[in-house]
Amino acid sequence: MRPFELLEPSSLREALGLLDTADETVRPAGGGTALMLMMKAGVLEPSRLISLRRIEPAWAEISQSADAVEIGALATLSAIEHSGIVRSELPVIARTLRTLANVRVRNVATLGGNLAHADPHMDLPPVLIALGASVIIASRGAERELPVAELISGYYETTLASGELIVRVRVPKQFARFSAYRKITTRSADDWPALGVAVALDREGPVLREARIAVSAAFDRPLRLAAAEAVLRGASIDDEAVLIHAGDAAADEARPIADERGSAAYKRELIRVHVRRALRDALDAQGGTP
Amino acid sequence: MKTIRFELNGEPVTAQVEPHHNVVELLQTMGLRGARESCGQGLCGCCTVLVDGLAVSGCLYFAAQLDGARVDTIERTEREGELDVVQQAFAECGAFQCGFCTPGFVLMTRQLLAHNPAPSEDEIRHYLSGNLCRCATYPEIIRAVQLAARIRKAGA
Repeated sequence: MRPFELLEPSSLREALGLLDTADETVRPAGGGTALMLMMKAGVLEPSRLISLRRIEPAWAEISQSADAVEIGALATLSAIEHSGIVRSELPVIARTLRTLANVRVRNVATLGGNLAHADPHMDLPPVLIALGASVIIASRGAERELPVAELISGYYETTLASGELIVRVRVPKQFARFSAYRKITTRSADDWPALGVAVALDREGPVLREARIAVSAAFDRPLRLAAAEAVLRGASIDDEAVLIHAGDAAADEARPIADERGSAAYKRELIRVHVRRALRDALDAQGGTP
Repeated sequence: MKTIRFELNGEPVTAQVEPHHNVVELLQTMGLRGARESCGQGLCGCCTVLVDGLAVSGCLYFAAQLDGARVDTIERTEREGELDVVQQAFAECGAFQCGFCTPGFVLMTRQLLAHNPAPSEDEIRHYLSGNLCRCATYPEIIRAVQLAARIRKAGA
């Protein structure tokens, strides 16, 4: 690992000041797990890391309002997994975290770092996109809110500008909407996914009002599948054929990219099958707990 | 070089670290070899240590960030000179062959039983899925965790 400088500011304000530089080799660090992997691999060689672990503890808090759950960007994945608020309001997130990496990584890795890393294989981005979540981004003297779907712009690429930091994630409470995430691994149960499928369904009686389907590990970033979503709009939840139809529409519209866990053709078939199964999971999970 | 102070297995210590040193590298300079870097990617669990009571991968944790922390490694025995319940169960069940991964499995099993005193086989498999044993003593490890849970319960 190339030598670098490690700074540990004690406030967000101080951290934002240190990050306000044109030098792109200065990077923020949350838990540092993904960063260390990239540094060990030699694909990231920062001159200076700004560790956020000593800034105000408020940036790791999880809270709720009447219509949303707010998660501080420095909350560890374990803290989110075990949060009573998350388990009761957003059980699909708690379930997703249970199979994300392993206990030790979840104890250290943070939500903000996870999202900013923008690895297209990650589990949380498709789930957060399906749930309609947004990130609150701070920079020196400014704050803006952006849907998670617009945060990740490509392979390990985000729309964050230099000097900007994700400080909170806002997830709307789901109320009558129900959701599911399927992680398909091809080598071992704890492997990175060959495909991730997140769905969130909004129903009124037996009719689906809206469906959101977000797929990861198949493209250069997590993407929603609009054609499959359109098939479900207005459909009856008792119509099993419509789930098959939605899976076919998803496979038709998707343009998967091959990686070491599956060819493009294989991923297309995974999409066909697992979009349908994820929809079935969501319908079966109504009112379910993690 | 930066000077850090932390509590190591119950004793206050001071160490000199470079920013790029990880926890395993630091512990080795202090004569502790129970945490081993194997995969170097946080996947195998051989470098497990506890920082402020939470299990972390020592290979993915900057040593400089131990400043002010409480660190426990496999070298800390619960009672002076005696194996703890989990270690006894691993020995009883033969839950190792070469022993390289054992410190990580023992520390993770202690964490599991502290949170979940009577885990099901599925819960054991899930919790330990981030620990690899290349000798493949997994069946014995699962039996050892179940035995440790029973001994703990009987002693409680």
